[in-house]
Amino acid sequence: MVGELAGNYSTVVLMFAFGIVAMAPALVISRMISPRKRSNPVKFLPMECGQVPSGEGRTHFMMQYYPYILMFVVFDVMAIFLYAWGSALLEIPKIATLPMMGFLAIMFGAMAFALYQSGRRRIW
Amino acid sequence: MSVIAPNFKLSEFIKSLLDNVFWIIFIVVLIGIPAIMMILFVIEMPVIDGELLTPFLALTWIADPSRILPIVKAFMATDIFRVMAFPGFGFAALLAAGTIFIERKMLAKLQLRVGPFYCGKFEGILQLMGDGLKLISKEIIIPAKADKPIFWAAPVLFVAAAAAFVAFIPVAPGWVVADVDMGLLGVFAVIGFFPIITILSAWSANSKFPFIGGIRALFQMVSFEIPLILSLLGVVMLTGSLNLSEIAASQSSFPWIVFLPVGAIVFFITMLAELERIPFDLPEAESEIVAGWLTELSGMMYGLVQLGTYLKLYAFAALFVVVFLGGWNGPMVVPPFPAEILEKGIELGPVTANIPGLPLFTQDMLNGTLWFVLKTVGVIFFILLPRGVFPRIRVDMLLSLGWTKLIGLAFVNIFIALGLLYAGVLGPGGLQ
Repeated sequence: MVGELAGNYSTVVLMFAFGIVAMAPALVISRMISPRKRSNPVKFLPMECGQVPSGEGRTHFMMQYYPYILMFVVFDVMAIFLYAWGSALLEIPKIATLPMMGFLAIMFGAMAFALYQSGRRRIW
Repeated sequence: MSVIAPNFKLSEFIKSLLDNVFWIIFIVVLIGIPAIMMILFVIEMPVIDGELLTPFLALTWIADPSRILPIVKAFMATDIFRVMAFPGFGFAALLAAGTIFIERKMLAKLQLRVGPFYCGKFEGILQLMGDGLKLISKEIIIPAKADKPIFWAAPVLFVAAAAAFVAFIPVAPGWVVADVDMGLLGVFAVIGFFPIITILSAWSANSKFPFIGGIRALFQMVSFEIPLILSLLGVVMLTGSLNLSEIAASQSSFPWIVFLPVGAIVFFITMLAELERIPFDLPEAESEIVAGWLTELSGMMYGLVQLGTYLKLYAFAALFVVVFLGGWNGPMVVPPFPAEILEKGIELGPVTANIPGLPLFTQDMLNGTLWFVLKTVGVIFFILLPRGVFPRIRVDMLLSLGWTKLIGLAFVNIFIALGLLYAGVLGPGGLQ
């Protein structure tokens, strides 16, 4: 596991590039053989179910998601730490699990507090 | 009665044909042959059966059918073949296309309809091809105020990201595009690209419905990423490896779903949410926001996003199979190859052709692929089934489900794995 080369991942990049190379011609061919009529400017308005669109397309939009974003930033990193511990679990002594349990306990407390705060919508 | 070509003249038709032939020969001689020479000068030719493959040798082998097989075998061992055809893009796209057809027929049966019926002689089996031709010949309409480069690039990037996800999936022993030690982390990294592509496409459309749908998709994918990552940790703890091939190989006696059913259930639910499928299809809710972040995509752009979605569906189902259901492991059902084919060759009536190295694939590989495809199709069936059964849930229900219940269950799964390991049931000294 240690000392893996970044070059081993070149096939993933190759696959990504093949996805682009294989699929971009579909758009190009479609552009070549499909009709293109610019007769009506209404056609190029954004779709609003038949109404004449009003206002900007990109508006400020209140989603009240900030507590979850903060939790995501913390827990995503925590999950990767857990992976570092979990993938080496068979090789480390059993006593090394205790600090990890302490870490999880702290994280559980923090998460419970964050969920409680996310329920209080007024403060966001 | 209309005539297709009213001013048709045979002499001009032949002249245009000859014109084309002339230009083809001209371009091939001036550009094609020098280009082939330059490419042959640069690339390294493989060594096949102890002989360096020179272009001259390759041409003589192509003339002799019994000697093509080593070339084909050498080609099948290259990265190019793996990326384009077998464990990579071609295989996944084939399964994805089959999934689209089966989904339409199965939903129709669930709702007492007929589904695709007329296209093709048997049960509308050519419907998908017809849809593809229709999509590719439709006009692509882009909103006037859209960010055109990003808007054009988003569907292609979506398909490419799904293809990069497919690259990590081992189909049979040794048959995987990217056999890397951090395969599972690579999968998480690629999954992280989908919300970005979605929100880019939605933002660049400069329209309200895509914007709302894109924000919903972003929040949903972000919410369910943590239970997704945590639900696979139990398997990693018991296997001690992040390599997906090793995880699949570790389940030769029993699949991990036997010991970690909680993790499998959590992973399945997060999978439905990441794929934006019913009951979690809030980003594409037809009855609320038209088609969500796909609203402004038209023609082939919509087709590409659909292809990417189903590639992603195949990749998630295959990941479930590899991690929880044992991957390619299963009883040997492929009959052994007869010995005379391996040693003597094939007898076709009076002719006996001695073809060395005839079985292109080994028995293990065929058996593994068979079991992998069977299990994957089963998981895909269970992914498709809720669409005909469940209603859509609300956003707040989705959030509370993802952030409280699923994360809690994922930790329960981790403690189950830890208990099994330290009680000595699994791991070193236990079963296996």
